[in-house]
Amino acid sequence: MSKRTVDPKLLEILVCPLTKGPLRYDSDADELISEQAGLAFPIRDGIPIMLIDEARTVDSDAPSAT
Amino acid sequence: MTDSITVFNRRAVRRHRDRAARGGGEDSDLLFRESAERLLDRLDDVTRSFPLALEFGCRSGEMGKTLRGRSGIDTLVQCDLSEAMAAQAGGMALAADEEALPFTDAVFDLVIGNLSLHWVNDLPGALIQMRRALKPDGLFLAAMFGGDTLIELRQALAEAEIAEEDGLSPRVSPMAEVRDLGGLLQRAGLALPVVDSETLTVMYPDPMALMADLRAMGETNAAVESRKGFTRPATLAAAAARYSDLFATSDGAIPVTFQIITLTGWAPDASQQQPLQPGSATSRLADALDAEEHPLPDKARPT
Repeated sequence: MSKRTVDPKLLEILVCPLTKGPLRYDSDADELISEQAGLAFPIRDGIPIMLIDEARTVDSDAPSAT
Repeated sequence: MTDSITVFNRRAVRRHRDRAARGGGEDSDLLFRESAERLLDRLDDVTRSFPLALEFGCRSGEMGKTLRGRSGIDTLVQCDLSEAMAAQAGGMALAADEEALPFTDAVFDLVIGNLSLHWVNDLPGALIQMRRALKPDGLFLAAMFGGDTLIELRQALAEAEIAEEDGLSPRVSPMAEVRDLGGLLQRAGLALPVVDSETLTVMYPDPMALMADLRAMGETNAAVESRKGFTRPATLAAAAARYSDLFATSDGAIPVTFQIITLTGWAPDASQQQPLQPGSATSRLADALDAEEHPLPDKARPT
């Protein structure tokens, strides 16, 4: 099954929409994690969903919790 | 009670755009295509290349197709509030909210948007974020609907609602005026701001066709204060009748006004023309005009 992956060039210019802080790319979960905001933004079919409404709240101590 | 600055329900805007993306109505894109063409003409007038560009409110990528490879654009990033629309845009796309942009500072050579800013609550905030995402001397270029848009529908709906429901609620979203927007561009820190307006009149066969088209475009009402639930069929019918009574031409067709405002501004850079300090002139205007100079009387001054 072919899955669209996110363009690395796009990841370079993205920041957290809430804090404008850096994002960490979790390739296993296909999420962009903002440690400062404690939010994980999903990437669906290669498209980062940078909407605060759609983000998952994460514990900054356990960022890759499932 | 809603916050005074929250005029639009952004979730509703998103839902409407998602629905429009699923519908894929080609005919209803006419207005967006027309506006996009005019916007691209403006871009062609700028003799400059924009290697990295951002298009916000990209819808399903219609304008993006013509943007790529134009004006020296090597890479085009496209975002829309609707995930469904961004997914159809192709290329380097993401879902993002104009009110909370997820981009690093000073990355883009161009930020361009066609007809999406009229759904933004915090327009000054959105403009500031867009300016920050621009490199120095980067161009901001956007088209948005202005206050005269759907003026006939606004009047017909208001009159019908007062007659049928003993009250009035916002049915057509409030829109920005040209006179406010120049100040907003300046407040956002954009240099050399220009705001101008064009009015398009589109003929529709009847008011119901207009309402169906607005829905297909994802442009139905998203005002927070709008009444809950659907407009009553009786009110809609009365509005349609009122619209035809007031505005229909002899063959029954109705005119629909769309005011499109174009915003242009540049991220400040030292290379741009700067105003001189007042009083720093080195030659007299009277000499240049070869005229006699008369000092102004002081009488008009209030004491």
